[in-house]
Amino acid sequence: MADEAEILRNPDFQELLRQRSRWRWGLSGGLVGIYLAYCLVGVYFPDVFARSFLGSSIPWGIALAYLIIALAIFLSILYIRIVGRLLEVPFDDRGSRQ
Amino acid sequence: MIGSGPNITAILIFVAFVAASLLITWWAAKRTHSTGEFYTAGSKITGVQNGFALAGDFMSAASFLGVTGLIFIGGSDALLFVVGVVVSWAFILFAFADRMRNLGRYTFADIVAYRLQPERLRMLAAAGTLTVAIPYLIAQMVGAGSLIETLFGLPYFVAVLIVGGLMTVYVAFGGMLATTWVQVIKAVLLLAGVTLLFLFAMAQFGFDFDALFAKAAEVHPRGQVILRPGGLYDDPISVLSIALAFVCGTAGLPHVLMRFFTVPDAKQARRSIGYAVVFIGYFQALIVVVGFAAIALLVGQTEYVDESGRIAGAANMVSVYLARVVGGEIFFGLIAAVAFATILAVVAGILLSASAAVAHDLYAKVIRRGEISDRAEVNVSRMATVVLGVATIGLSLWFRNINVGVLATIALAVAASVNFPAIFLALFWKNLTTRGAVAGGLTGLVVVVVLIVLSPTVWVNAFGNEMAIFPYSYPTLFSVAAAFIVTIVVSLSDRSDRAVTDRAGYDAQVVRSELGER
Repeated sequence: MADEAEILRNPDFQELLRQRSRWRWGLSGGLVGIYLAYCLVGVYFPDVFARSFLGSSIPWGIALAYLIIALAIFLSILYIRIVGRLLEVPFDDRGSRQ
Repeated sequence: MIGSGPNITAILIFVAFVAASLLITWWAAKRTHSTGEFYTAGSKITGVQNGFALAGDFMSAASFLGVTGLIFIGGSDALLFVVGVVVSWAFILFAFADRMRNLGRYTFADIVAYRLQPERLRMLAAAGTLTVAIPYLIAQMVGAGSLIETLFGLPYFVAVLIVGGLMTVYVAFGGMLATTWVQVIKAVLLLAGVTLLFLFAMAQFGFDFDALFAKAAEVHPRGQVILRPGGLYDDPISVLSIALAFVCGTAGLPHVLMRFFTVPDAKQARRSIGYAVVFIGYFQALIVVVGFAAIALLVGQTEYVDESGRIAGAANMVSVYLARVVGGEIFFGLIAAVAFATILAVVAGILLSASAAVAHDLYAKVIRRGEISDRAEVNVSRMATVVLGVATIGLSLWFRNINVGVLATIALAVAASVNFPAIFLALFWKNLTTRGAVAGGLTGLVVVVVLIVLSPTVWVNAFGNEMAIFPYSYPTLFSVAAAFIVTIVVSLSDRSDRAVTDRAGYDAQVVRSELGER
């Protein structure tokens, strides 16, 4: 079995690490960022969130909350698909794609 | 007590749930002999089952009863919590699921101790687990006691004894296998119950959301204010603290983290959290409507809400009152029984994580240094379960008048400020050292406790002082920042021999955490 240092130097493994970390931080940073932005808009511009959503009696604040929940569910499913595909090709014990 | 005499439906459903859960415990007990079986059900749970169980572990009485109560009082500000919960689960999936599953075996201490000095990190993790688990257990049991008192007319101490006794039996005999199936059944019951509550409530408005929200704003004593932010929190510090408590805190809850290890591999771990996101997202989406429907339908009914808008019993009763208004006595009994089952399942999950921390992390790994037979460790776990169970029952009887909200805040804040920074930096930051992790974790713990004591909820409401020294209810913005800063500064300035080993171990950890066991 190859030692860890060798696997870490393997270009296939490095590519995997790069892609995984891109998805990991892209998705979590994006979603958490949107949530924090939502929180702060509510604090600094409450009037914006109080405004009627498309003329209904539902305010923007509540409509957006539902959109963020839907987005979280959508991104989770997307992530499972994409990362599953990244890892579908098994790695040998030297860290190369087989 | 609501209604005349005990509610027969509620009692029948609850007795059926208890009977089913005890049968499962008996079945699980015959299959639980080794430590792997006791702590993680032999890692043989499937992704879907674990998805339900994760949702069951997380959807506590706080989310079912607490959030609707919060909407009733504060209107749309409760959405901070609702959205925060769903975001936090997706965050766990993206950032942690694979690496956690690949590195750990029984508890999250396995991850933080992977390349750091194991005994010291396990002691920190056990402290983090117990300061989350014990306040959380007491909060749930005190809540359950009052709930059952209101719903069934049973005395408080009887209710606490029933909940505490059952949870101890599930965990001590059936370990993770029984706990998982109790969670699965509870999650299905809760999702079904809330779906029915949502449908019955919407039927009152002809399934017209517009009419529902218009009516809620019309009848609420605070009027349109409930549809705009600022009803509960209007300063950025409080709001960010709550947001952080959810995003970081959920990822630091020991009973949730322990569930990562009940599935066979990282792929199933990802899938199970994906299911959990879907179930929890669905639940949160419905609960918002239920909360506003409660405003629209309960205000003006003097049996439940008085002239000034105060709710009979406690604010967290609105969901069950709503069930009675829209579905009559039988449906009211169903929702009451579901609420009871919810609490019972949640406390079992937390108790298991606490006994794993005591028996595995503290006793087997620190005191005995791993020199202990598998059978002996299982016995210690069972004993720890009984001791912790009895202690929690005693504490819940003793602290009957404690503010449940404060306990829940402590639990989530400690998870965010002690467990989360240690896990996050252990997984992703090469320079983390043993000394840094321990210093940062202890800082987080002390800052949380001190700030909560100085906050309005304790300093003013409990101690009777005039002004709070720390003006915010949630400490997380400060405590999480303090924990991260101390961990990073101490790690970077650590020149010990151990620090060299700690950093050198990172490469092997990365390979293992991405590719799993090879």
